[in-house]
Amino acid sequence: MNRAFAPEINLIDSLTLPEVKKLTLDNSVPVYLLNEGEQEVVKVELMFKAGKWFEEENLVADLTSRMLREGTKTQTAKQLADTFDYYGANFNNAAGYETAGASLYSLTKHIDKLLPLFFEIFTESIFPEHELATIITNRKQRLSVDLTKNDFLANRHFVNALYGQKHPYGRVTQVEDFEKFSVEDLKAFFKKYYNASNLTIIVSGKFDDSLVKKLNETFGSKNYTGDKASETISHPVESSSELVHHTEKADSVQSAIMIGNISINKTHPDFLKLTVLNTVFGGYFGSRLMSNIREEKGYTYGIHSSFASYPHGGFIEISSEVGKDVRDATMKEIQREINLLRTELIGDEELQVVKNYMSGKILRSIDGPMKFSETLKGLLIYKQELSHIQEILNTIREVSSEELMTLANKYFDYDKMYKITVG
Amino acid sequence: MIKFEEFVLKNGLKVIVHEDSTTTMAAVNILYKVGSRDEDVKQTGFAHLFEHFMFEGSINIPEFDTPLQNAGGENNAFTSNDITNYYDILPANNLETAFWLESDRMLSLAFEEESLATQKNVVMEEFKEHYINQPYGDVWHKMCALAYKVHPYQWPVIGLNLQHIEQVKMQSAKDFYFKYYRPNNAILVIGGNVKTAQVQKLAEKWFGEIPAGEKIIRNLPIEPAQNEQRILEVKADVPVNAVYKAYKMGARTDADFHASDLLRDILSTGDSSRLYQQLVKEKKLFSSISAYSTETIDDGLLMIEGRLSEGVSMEVAEKAIEESVSEMVNVKVSDEELIKVKNKIEAYVTFGEVNVLNRVMNLAYFEMLGNAGDVNNEVEKYAAVTSAQLQQAAAKIFRKENSNTIRYFSNN
Repeated sequence: MNRAFAPEINLIDSLTLPEVKKLTLDNSVPVYLLNEGEQEVVKVELMFKAGKWFEEENLVADLTSRMLREGTKTQTAKQLADTFDYYGANFNNAAGYETAGASLYSLTKHIDKLLPLFFEIFTESIFPEHELATIITNRKQRLSVDLTKNDFLANRHFVNALYGQKHPYGRVTQVEDFEKFSVEDLKAFFKKYYNASNLTIIVSGKFDDSLVKKLNETFGSKNYTGDKASETISHPVESSSELVHHTEKADSVQSAIMIGNISINKTHPDFLKLTVLNTVFGGYFGSRLMSNIREEKGYTYGIHSSFASYPHGGFIEISSEVGKDVRDATMKEIQREINLLRTELIGDEELQVVKNYMSGKILRSIDGPMKFSETLKGLLIYKQELSHIQEILNTIREVSSEELMTLANKYFDYDKMYKITVG
Repeated sequence: MIKFEEFVLKNGLKVIVHEDSTTTMAAVNILYKVGSRDEDVKQTGFAHLFEHFMFEGSINIPEFDTPLQNAGGENNAFTSNDITNYYDILPANNLETAFWLESDRMLSLAFEEESLATQKNVVMEEFKEHYINQPYGDVWHKMCALAYKVHPYQWPVIGLNLQHIEQVKMQSAKDFYFKYYRPNNAILVIGGNVKTAQVQKLAEKWFGEIPAGEKIIRNLPIEPAQNEQRILEVKADVPVNAVYKAYKMGARTDADFHASDLLRDILSTGDSSRLYQQLVKEKKLFSSISAYSTETIDDGLLMIEGRLSEGVSMEVAEKAIEESVSEMVNVKVSDEELIKVKNKIEAYVTFGEVNVLNRVMNLAYFEMLGNAGDVNNEVEKYAAVTSAQLQQAAAKIFRKENSNTIRYFSNN
């Protein structure tokens, strides 16, 4: 046995996708069922088109979602918490840019007792003012703590520079924003967007038909009808004219760095290939940014690059926290790595590693019910079919260094990127 | 229920196999029984720095990550007070790649000066990012020092200071490695779409020839019982006052661990938990509050931390926490509340078993504690706890003279 030689590797070229059953409830709400796994657990995930994209005042989508835990017509916040906790269940909810989601995690044996209550939350919430007041006070305090963190500040400045205050992707929260809406705004938002026409459900885990029946008895109800969220809402992008901005903080030992610009999202034909290029650049542990700036120079604990994709846009972001004394040196290296992508072909061996790594990642993304439901959710937001997963794999396997160099010249231009530093 | 088989190689390496044909992946976990408690007081942070060094090339393979990524895999590691744990997840048909890589770094390392120097820098940046350049970032350093006077838990895993990391020499790395990173001090767990016979063959092939090390005998100082209330006041540039209270509790393997852990659940797991309901929602004294325990091999801590609401004095805030914990001592927990936390545990454990990587990590962890099979007895052990036992555990833990308090004041 010669330990210097690696064992042979099997490539991943085909995928066996778990079965997804699609059905519609009596009120036409689409439901996707992923019945797999050995453990007697289930996740019921709701996606309402009720994200920040649809709010007229900052924080309304966010706090509408947050307030759903705070009481319904028949249950106080405490009673809701007691019941979910009593059955060992967990219920998370949050508003994203597009959808406001909620996931209920439960042992399968208890889910039938929880679904009626879960349904009540999304149809009969009452938004008690005293609970809102407590939440706002605590959120303001959390914001004051976050505002002392360099990475938080850099990220805020960055998205705001890219999109401006009028766009959901760029909007940042100021303390006074908490005074600019009333509980009535939350109630109105709830009434308008949390309805059956805006809802998609994914159920994953190990369950039988009785769950589907219970789901239909609750979320299949015809008493929360409403209009579909408008497809034509748009928001103006007001990018900053100031590409470079540094906030000095005398007592910092590190600087946070955010670099990037508005780019394409998942709906663009270049996107898949671009993620291969980005993985080479800064998208995994073995990336060029990590190898150079962490593993060779030791400037940072971590440096990453990613293409953030949302239904109405996307951007590239390169982020790191580095020793203050090597901030400029780090920026120069980032610039150098970008220029390398634009001028030199990626070597075969390096590209092969990235392709194999990304293929493995796809395999992991469909392994087990919980992972797979996340992947499915990602597809549904962009109205993509399951077969798209195989398409992703094929694109990764086929893309050439030449194509990637062309893409680098099209999408990576250091001079045009925002460069925000704090610390 | 996690099924497994186990065997031991001649060099003392314990191997555990967990077959699961429903996944396409294989998970490989190696736990080395060494952590920051094994460090010299003059060289703290060393075990964690060494974890970084384990990725910097082994005797026959220049670098760890790339070949694993090339096999479609991903990996990482963590260091705690007690253990250093490495894990890989990759397509099951490339399992041998993980054997090749993991066995080579158990055989011997490349020990290159340059890579040690770089990892020292990386770890120092990690230290700065998480413990210096963060509001309240130094609190764990202060709490360890307050709560432990002689036991090595008195310093955090990251180390006491940047200098200790900066001063590390290669010889220490070699000594440490050949003492602790030996097959007889490790537990290898393989799970996923694998067969025991296949794993047995691979284990013999790749790990069988690695020489055993000397038996490790620990003489760690025993932390004496705490008999006085300890209080530290800190002032710093943070926007909000905070309070941290650490009560000494027993070890992870103590008979009353499960009762103690349920106390923590009653206090702080879920929106219905007492601290959140009483102190955040009803009395509005805190904007956030939580409790957790360190779950260490030697005696650990049950820590409660909270951020004070504006205008609330430290005295009032502390008194409120003390009242909540005293209630656990003085008033019997209702059947309903006890069932609730037990149901929570059952769900937590079952969800934890969905992921094959979690399953193999748990097997390794319980084997380290004494017996891998105990992983399947946890839910029962929690279920057996009575309200009387809860009260006993509370009486033992929630005493003033058993508490360590940091009053963290804002300069504002």
